[in-house]
Amino acid sequence: MNDKSMHWVNRLAALGLVVGLVAGLAVAGSAQSVGGQAYSTYVNTPLGSSSQSPLAVLPAVTGTDGAEADAEGSALNVVGALSSDFLNSITSGEIGTAEAGAQSTSSAASVNILNGLITADEVVANVMSSAGQSGALSDAAGSTFTNLTVAGQSLSGDQAVAPNTNVSLPGVGYVVLNEQIPTGDGVTSSGLTVNMIHVYLQSLVGGILNPITGQTLGGTLQTTGEIIVGSATSSVGP
Amino acid sequence: MLTHTILRFGPGLAAGLLAVACSDRPNVNMAPKRPSFWVTPPPAQCPTGKWTGGGRIDPTGTRTAANYDNVDEPSPTGDPPPAPEPAPYFTGKFTFGFNVFLATNAANRCFVQKGEIEVNGHPFKVAWHVSIHDGVDTFSGDSVFANVFADNSGRGFCLVVGTADAFMTARVNPGQGRETAQFEVCDNDRGKPQNSRTDAMRWRAAPIHSGETGPTGDTGLTYLTGGNIVEHGS
Repeated sequence: MNDKSMHWVNRLAALGLVVGLVAGLAVAGSAQSVGGQAYSTYVNTPLGSSSQSPLAVLPAVTGTDGAEADAEGSALNVVGALSSDFLNSITSGEIGTAEAGAQSTSSAASVNILNGLITADEVVANVMSSAGQSGALSDAAGSTFTNLTVAGQSLSGDQAVAPNTNVSLPGVGYVVLNEQIPTGDGVTSSGLTVNMIHVYLQSLVGGILNPITGQTLGGTLQTTGEIIVGSATSSVGP
Repeated sequence: MLTHTILRFGPGLAAGLLAVACSDRPNVNMAPKRPSFWVTPPPAQCPTGKWTGGGRIDPTGTRTAANYDNVDEPSPTGDPPPAPEPAPYFTGKFTFGFNVFLATNAANRCFVQKGEIEVNGHPFKVAWHVSIHDGVDTFSGDSVFANVFADNSGRGFCLVVGTADAFMTARVNPGQGRETAQFEVCDNDRGKPQNSRTDAMRWRAAPIHSGETGPTGDTGLTYLTGGNIVEHGS
């Protein structure tokens, strides 16, 4: 057998291996991983702290399988920082031969942050991630606030807010509403974390107090605490 | 583990080998490739059915509402019946998540082998939970029967958990109560982009047995505001 024919034998062998691999993958299912997590509240402030609660984390999903996790909480009160009730977190995920995905949702009602600086009748965070023949995607459809008030500004009814809406809270820091943190390449992987209310507490550190004016000169703003209400994460990837 | 490893590296390896077979030059395109291994889902059926999903619905109690899945609500067996059954319509926000594995018993009857269903009714701050292990409803000790059928729209398949002859028993919080319930979902975008908002969910509940508590109503079959329903096992 000469070099030329050997070349074609190698090509055919490689092509056969490719066909076998692809067929095997189709039978065995998709080469995907899925992840999900949801929690209603998180507080880490000088006033007090509370871990991610109630926390639902998607168990490992393998093969053509699926799973669900949920957690319920009645009420939370970190005095001066956050009070809320009807706390619920749910996450689920699946891997199939045609598609793989995860979806998470969390909610909190009667939300009161920093003694009324931010209030809402209800907050719902809802995300989904999916991968299939058309690629990978994530979205936060269904994430809304009900009767939200931030520093005196009100939004009546059940409404969405533009992603990553930043509102200054003078003397306190700032809040990001509908904070969205995407991951993945949108082709084989995609993920999204949504924090419906994310308060960043800030303090001026390192400045010099002018004894005459009472003003602080210089210094830098540093984040000294945070409060999150309504967090949901979903992801799918290779 | 071996299978997992092969699957993880499969697409990249396949792409590399394909380049060797078809060209004397190596493939230098570093852009991510779309997965080539997805297959068209076969018809959904009971014995190997696995259903998972979650999200949110906003039922309005109005059949003419854009998010009411009128076309798929009538089931071929009459179970579930047209909403609201029981009256009234549940309206407002409902969030949920679930995972259900189906099997058939000796009588070839479809039932839930294992499953978890969580439904939160936000208007009345109620959380329902159904837990099924080894074919038995944790809160009643009974089997939970199911039904899978092609929907009327021809877009996909629907699943009913807790068929009408026995329904199923959900825990109701707050208060650790119990209530009779039925759950229905439709996967209407099988093998297609999953943000079509054509998947649907319906929740029915009523305290029909002695000692049960909880709100009475029916959401009607309602398109998801967000989330996804996936039949991934047949």
